[in-house]
Amino acid sequence: MDLLWTISTALLLCSLLSILWKESDRRRNRNCYLLDFVCYKPSDDRKLSTELCSDIIARNKRLSVPDYKFLLKVVVNSGISEETYGPRSIIEGREECPTHDDCVDEVDDCMYRTLDQLFLRTGVSPIDVDVLVVNVSMFAPSPSLTSRIVNRYSMREDVKTFSLAGMGCSASPIAIDLVNNIFKTRKRTLAVVVTSESIAPNWYCGTDKSMMLGNCLFRSGGCSFMLTNDPSLRHRAKMSLKCLVRAHIGADDDAYSCAIQKEDDEGRVGFHLSKSLPKAAVRAFAENLQRLAPKVLPVGELALYAVRGLRHRLWRSKEAKTDAATAARVNFKSGVDHFCLHTGGAAVIDAVGRALGLAKYDVEPARMTLHRWGNTSASSLWYVLGYMEAKKRLRRKDRVLMLSFGAGFKCNSCLWEVLRDLNDGGAWEDCIRAYPPQTLVNPFMEKFRWVKEA
Amino acid sequence: MPAEPLPQFLSSIKLKYVKLGYQYLANHMLTFLLIPVMVAAFLEAAKIGPDELVSLWRSLGINAIHALCTVLLVVVVATAYFMSRPRPVYLVDYACFQPARNCRVPFATFFEHARLMPFFDEKSVRFQVRILERSGLGEETCLPPANHYIPPCPSMEASRAEAQLVIFSAIDDLIAKTGLKPKDIDILVVNCSLFSPTPSLSAMIVNKYKLRSNIMSFNLSGMGCSAGLISVDLARDLLQAHPNSYALVVSTEIITPNYYAGNERSMLLPNCLFRMGAAAVLLSNRRRERARAKYRLLHVVRTHKGADDRAYLCVYEEEDGDGNSGIRLSKDLMAIADEALRSNITTVGPLVLPVTEQLRFLASLVARRLLGSRGWKPYIPDFKRAFEHFCIHAGGRAVIDELQLNLRLSAAHVEASRMALHRFGNTSSSSLWYELGYIEAKGRMRRGDRVWMIGFGSGFKCNSAVWRCLRTVATPVDGPWSDCIHRYPVHIPEVVKLL
Repeated sequence: MDLLWTISTALLLCSLLSILWKESDRRRNRNCYLLDFVCYKPSDDRKLSTELCSDIIARNKRLSVPDYKFLLKVVVNSGISEETYGPRSIIEGREECPTHDDCVDEVDDCMYRTLDQLFLRTGVSPIDVDVLVVNVSMFAPSPSLTSRIVNRYSMREDVKTFSLAGMGCSASPIAIDLVNNIFKTRKRTLAVVVTSESIAPNWYCGTDKSMMLGNCLFRSGGCSFMLTNDPSLRHRAKMSLKCLVRAHIGADDDAYSCAIQKEDDEGRVGFHLSKSLPKAAVRAFAENLQRLAPKVLPVGELALYAVRGLRHRLWRSKEAKTDAATAARVNFKSGVDHFCLHTGGAAVIDAVGRALGLAKYDVEPARMTLHRWGNTSASSLWYVLGYMEAKKRLRRKDRVLMLSFGAGFKCNSCLWEVLRDLNDGGAWEDCIRAYPPQTLVNPFMEKFRWVKEA
Repeated sequence: MPAEPLPQFLSSIKLKYVKLGYQYLANHMLTFLLIPVMVAAFLEAAKIGPDELVSLWRSLGINAIHALCTVLLVVVVATAYFMSRPRPVYLVDYACFQPARNCRVPFATFFEHARLMPFFDEKSVRFQVRILERSGLGEETCLPPANHYIPPCPSMEASRAEAQLVIFSAIDDLIAKTGLKPKDIDILVVNCSLFSPTPSLSAMIVNKYKLRSNIMSFNLSGMGCSAGLISVDLARDLLQAHPNSYALVVSTEIITPNYYAGNERSMLLPNCLFRMGAAAVLLSNRRRERARAKYRLLHVVRTHKGADDRAYLCVYEEEDGDGNSGIRLSKDLMAIADEALRSNITTVGPLVLPVTEQLRFLASLVARRLLGSRGWKPYIPDFKRAFEHFCIHAGGRAVIDELQLNLRLSAAHVEASRMALHRFGNTSSSSLWYELGYIEAKGRMRRGDRVWMIGFGSGFKCNSAVWRCLRTVATPVDGPWSDCIHRYPVHIPEVVKLL
């Protein structure tokens, strides 16, 4: 009986240990590591100078002179340099009637160039990829873009592919969220994410002002990055994901329709940006920060914020402040070292910087990315990250916050922790030494001075 | 057995069965160890009488503390075990869009409209009608309002209107059936292959139903007719990571923007076959939903043949010589679907087939390798022994015929697919749900029945899902079949002569 007793106790303990071991194994595999990322650098013949932009805008014979001036003003004041890139079909004059091949070629060039480099740099073979996610908001051909990649790189039959579309400029964190959730259920998984935007089929050729801004601000860009939850690859990884917050205020009609693709009065499809966009952005931003702050900030800062809030409520001091202003009273820099802000435009970057209480040094990467690459939509966060890395700002244990806004209306953010000192030049390699430039003013400001006076 | 061929053979079947066997052994190691011990103890106890057992127990001198500790340990182990198991995914209910009668496109209407279109030449009209006559479609399939215009007006507004009509109807029906509160939805996955506006269709749903701001929404596009199962796969992965959640999966295809206005034959087929449809499915991993859930998701297997150029190019969107955009279907479609299915079967088979079928399949594989492909025909396992019901994507009559032949199914097994194709046409990713609705409406779905859903789509993908029915579904069933199920099944002739 003693023997039986001993054996049964031993078995019970073994089973308990095995369950605990499985649980700890599962927890170890929950981490999401960023192995590497490669930003897209199009060929130089695709550069869009202000002169070229002006010519392209002038090609639209439907535009009146005031409209033309308005657009040129937007371009000149946008904070975008002469070095940004556009799609070949637009440069070559086919902006109003791009062929299917034009659209496909534009996306293919981005995807394949970045993926070739990504596989080379990481030493990972395409056959080892378990999950593939592509997000391009405004172009979804059949077969999907993921199938194009599977075909080109001869990936495995059981690769899990997901082709996200229509998710706007904040789709990068959405793709990361998708992969992160899959990581929680599978061990030792390798995922590749490609994020880009398609400009060629989305050029607006009408006269509605609210739809013309997209033409002026969006530029070609993209990024491919590799994620894994394999703990044995941790030593090669650049960053580790700490938390991810998604806020979707589409339930509000104004927020849903403030950035929407639709037809104008003459039936031409364009991307309408309404005047209520900043308000929607602020609300989404506040919604996101409310959930992000407890996960990101140290306990001390949260306690201070609670005390301030309590004091404000008890004594009803001053008039009601907006949520964004309240957020300014929270010092995000206590929990975050670097900020990757979506380069939606100079105004967006400045507004977010003010709301978070950031200094010029903190918003510099975003401003410089807007200057060098323009608004590349969902992939802009990665160019900003690339800038920080090229400037050797990213040191071990630093915390990086990615924050983006997009149609829907959404505000998505994710916090990364840097795992080792990073110093790759990436897409910024050849020009980082010229940054930050003396001035961000458009060199053609003199030539187009009449625009400012208009 | 010569030593040389063996390594090749091992690598070619990728040790699948050996690995499976080893995994099974490793996972149940404790059970295997425990069983002999329990058997021995039981035998010992059986030898001794009850009085002696009681005196033996007393003599052990186990005091209350020992007993309590043991009980506590057992409880802890049991709890840890149950909590560590993967969460089951239940299909609470689903609803399909029921098109209105004024959207119907009988053959005569189709022919008349095609004839009046300014861009079709005589040959193209005749070709489309011939396809329709042999397609297996009936007279009640529906096209969206925009396609009833001559010529159709594929504007973005009309496309959004169609999307709102089909999607909101399906979701409203689902809410009525399940009593779901929109604020309870945690996960939203929408798939629509050929229409992806910005903001996405998922944002459109969030806006209409005022879903929560922390919803996990995903919008899949361009993924073809098999995307419904891709969405279910994604929802399942998300439900594994988030306990006590509801996932809403919406599958549809928006026809309005995709009318082909040219004369290229290989691109005219979608005009003839694709029809309006949508399905909304509620999945959950809440244990309390088990009481009312209809099905439990057992497996989802995805196979992507995109690495093979032939497969990749067989369903391809491109422009014809005149610049009209359309989807070209290659003549190899059946053969490629066949290959994709075989690949899918090699993964699904070990998960669902009874041991005898698996052994026969393995033996046939081994024999083919050793004796050469010519010496031995490939053995297709008898899936009728693993499933009671089959939902095969109603891509077209040829697809259903091909699968019926390959899987050795009877007419009764493919009846749901044929009748769904007849009544609703090819509704792309939602077709599988219409077929499931047919089986339920016919009162054939019993508790314990297993259903195999097979979808094919561009890429080329073959995806399959295995469900187990948790409760017998009582008729009559609300839904798109409620007004016509009494007329089904119908005999579908080879050719329905119009011209």
